Amino acid sequence: MSMQQLFLKLYEFWAGQGCYLAPTYDLEVGAGTMTPDTFFRVLGRRPWKVAYVQPSRRPTDGRYGENPHRVQKHFQFQVIIKPSPADIQRIYLDSLTSLGINLKEHDLRFDEDDWESPTIGAWGVGWQVMLDGLEITQFTYFQQAGGLELFPVSVEITYGLERLEMFLEQKDNIYDLQWSDEVSYHDLRYQEEKEFSIYNFEQADTQMLHRAFSASEKEAQRLINQGLLFPAYDQCLKCSHLFNLLDSRGAISVTERVKLIGQIRTLVNQIARQFVEREGGS
Amino acid sequence: MEFLLEIMTEELPSSHVRSALSQFQEKLSQELQAARVGIHSLRTLGTCRRLVVLAQLEAGQPDEEEVVTGPPRQVAVKADGSYAQAALGFARSQGVPLESLEVITTARGEYLGFRRLKKGRPTGEILSEILPAIISSLSFPKNMRWADKNFRFSRPIKNLLCLFNGQVVPLEVAGLKSSDRTTGHFIQAPVEFRVANFEEYRQRLKDNLVVVEPEERKRAIQQQFQEKLAGLGAEVYPDQALLERLLWNVECPLVIMGSFPESYLELPLEVLSTAMREGQKLFSVVRGKKQLPYFLGIADSPADPRGFIAAGNERVLKARLEDARFFWKNDLKVNLAERAAQLQNVVFQEKLGSYGHKLERLQKLVAYLADRLELKKEKKDLVEAARLCKADLLTEMVREFPELQGKMGGLYAKKQGWSETVSRAIYEHYLPAGLEDPVPASTAGAVLSLADKLDTVVGVLGVGVSISGSSDPFGLRRQALAICQVTLEKKFHLSLPRLLDKAISLLQDRLTVPREQLKKAVLEFIEGRLRYIFEKQGYRYDLVNAALAPGLDNLVQAEARLKALSELRGSPNFEPFILMVKRVKNIVKEPPRARLNSALLKEKEEKELYSALKIIRKNVEEMLARNDFAAAQKMIFRLQPPLNSFFDRVLVMAEDKKVRNNRLALLSQILALTAELADYSQVVVESESG
Repeated sequence: MSMQQLFLKLYEFWAGQGCYLAPTYDLEVGAGTMTPDTFFRVLGRRPWKVAYVQPSRRPTDGRYGENPHRVQKHFQFQVIIKPSPADIQRIYLDSLTSLGINLKEHDLRFDEDDWESPTIGAWGVGWQVMLDGLEITQFTYFQQAGGLELFPVSVEITYGLERLEMFLEQKDNIYDLQWSDEVSYHDLRYQEEKEFSIYNFEQADTQMLHRAFSASEKEAQRLINQGLLFPAYDQCLKCSHLFNLLDSRGAISVTERVKLIGQIRTLVNQIARQFVEREGGS
Repeated sequence: MEFLLEIMTEELPSSHVRSALSQFQEKLSQELQAARVGIHSLRTLGTCRRLVVLAQLEAGQPDEEEVVTGPPRQVAVKADGSYAQAALGFARSQGVPLESLEVITTARGEYLGFRRLKKGRPTGEILSEILPAIISSLSFPKNMRWADKNFRFSRPIKNLLCLFNGQVVPLEVAGLKSSDRTTGHFIQAPVEFRVANFEEYRQRLKDNLVVVEPEERKRAIQQQFQEKLAGLGAEVYPDQALLERLLWNVECPLVIMGSFPESYLELPLEVLSTAMREGQKLFSVVRGKKQLPYFLGIADSPADPRGFIAAGNERVLKARLEDARFFWKNDLKVNLAERAAQLQNVVFQEKLGSYGHKLERLQKLVAYLADRLELKKEKKDLVEAARLCKADLLTEMVREFPELQGKMGGLYAKKQGWSETVSRAIYEHYLPAGLEDPVPASTAGAVLSLADKLDTVVGVLGVGVSISGSSDPFGLRRQALAICQVTLEKKFHLSLPRLLDKAISLLQDRLTVPREQLKKAVLEFIEGRLRYIFEKQGYRYDLVNAALAPGLDNLVQAEARLKALSELRGSPNFEPFILMVKRVKNIVKEPPRARLNSALLKEKEEKELYSALKIIRKNVEEMLARNDFAAAQKMIFRLQPPLNSFFDRVLVMAEDKKVRNNRLALLSQILALTAELADYSQVVVESESG
């Protein structure tokens, strides 16, 4: 099964569970959790079911295309369901079965792993799902986002698509994966990984990044004051990515790190609060 | 009669399972006792998906006589002994015949009333009342809610099986109702079935690939370990913590074995075993102390007939080892000294500055320690180790595997050409990490460990961070404990107060707590840990009090005093001597008003006591000078016979004021001498108790 077949199968499976399929969000994010389709949907009381593929950028994970497992951009398949269904673990197992994995021949484990994102004031409780020792999914019951206690509780299932595909294709090197029958992961991503690694670690202009960070931060606050929450949140996402780039350039000291993360969190918390008020209470 | 409860959940962290089971055991037994339900046996078992309680209980509460009181006697009984209206009304309302009424005397006076037998309630009914409260009161380090339920637990609850004597005990918890049903292995045998008792429960679970008894799982794992390793002449590198954790993580344990390319054996053992343990939770396989290119893992599955599980783990491990090799090679490209210089930019603690600042202080502190401990040979190496010891915080390996801090620094230092003393000191300087952990084997490692922890404890307390209950962000308790462990085990004869003066002066301008106050606080803090160590070693608290009374200066001497005191406790002289010192202390309540004047000693017994004191004091002081506390204590016991005769024949509180004060001065000299060894009056002896 190629990578794109994997996308399609998962889309099909989760659409069958009643999820709306969200298009990939068009900003750089560190994880599928960051996009508005997760962040805003887990807030408030209204039930939601959503699934989408999201490229996730982690500049410090770049390895110049030389490491068989680590890349500075990878793909996540993200599912959010609120409230979490009672049999969600079973549904998740069914999704793996739908990929042709016979679970009885393997060792699938839900291994304690709580999740936390100080940047968006969020944490949850759950597991990393291990398949024969390979982490293929992060499974989380969201307890807090934007600094707010969440109720009803959403469940988040995040598949690491490259990991899963390496399992399915029994490959040891990410670049050997088949994207489609004709195109390999190497064809699509190798040069990109190489160039972005150079950019992330060596070339990114840190002064420009610092300036852009403060500009986006100011803009976000201005938009929050006007009640324009979606645009304000976009600016927060920009801050978060700029922060990650500064980090990979080694341009952030420990104290500054705490300060910058705190700045983003303050903005995000305001957005969450206003959003919930607008939606009519938490 | 048998009671069986199974709370089925989604996968609980193994530490949560263990804590929940022990809380359950305690709470249920308390509640049952409070409800007067007889308990024959009560135990807990389970897996990461099941919390199970099994008990043999009485069928119900015992019957009980109940006294019901009505109106006061004066109102209810007329002068002629017949019943008044109030009595008739009371009997009617309670539905009892008049014959059963009697006068009952209470603390408030006499009343008319009756006795009746109250039937004990059936245990099932009581269980159904107390269990929901117990389940919701179980506490976990972190709780969660799920779906739209306003209920908190470690992970979502899926099912409740609750039986007493074969009957379902009706319960409702988190929107779930109890039944006699449960389910087999979540992935391998998700079959639902009904059970009537524990034996059936255990057996049906086993048929459906769940071993519910933890001891049985442990035996299965150990047996499979042996089977796998039989042909290799190798053994599992023991890791109790990992085994204990995995034991609760699986319902159907299967040991798998895999290998990795021998080329990775070029990595240090520390790196290999950490890469295996973290993430995949694999055990290393060793022969002697040598790592072999194999690993063992524990899967949750009945079998691996096609080898998928082993092969999958091999692939993942290989990737991790590849990463580790990448880190190892990359890290070695940068000299540790160069990295150490970069620590100026890494904050240690906001008010205490960077790691760079910490290392500057450490270099001075180890130099001071080297002088005090007369380590001329090691001094230069020690200062060098102090300069480099935190540099590995900036390496990729430590960023990936933080628990390798120190060890990596030592390994890199050795590889980059630093001396054995330097690299070993760096390697060991985080030791000991707990009471069970060994202290550094090398002297330099021990000195560096001591200096590092002293600087942290003094610094963190000195900027006003307070620790309480569970809040101890810098692990100061552990660090203070380590200070004591290292000092004692390495027999470092140091003056703790002077050492603190030095550490405080190095931190001077950064501290916010006044110097003397801080010194006192740190001393008390360390003394608390020292007492903890002594207690764990089994010393009696009164002996600890006695031995620590002369003051916390030299920890090694404090321990020697305690040891000597403890050893002498069995000797026949011990108790009379303690009683004698107590007597002296009772008499000498204040400092003497006069100096001892030997010319004023009149009686034979007081002259003898004085000459005995002079000889014994000279001997004791010589013995103390060579730290021979056992001999000193034995010597001081010799005061007892002359003291005895003194008390028998001489009146301390003589009429003549001069004579009296002189005798008091003699006794206070004796007391002063004993106080150099211990405050013997703190010792509790048998003849006093009771």
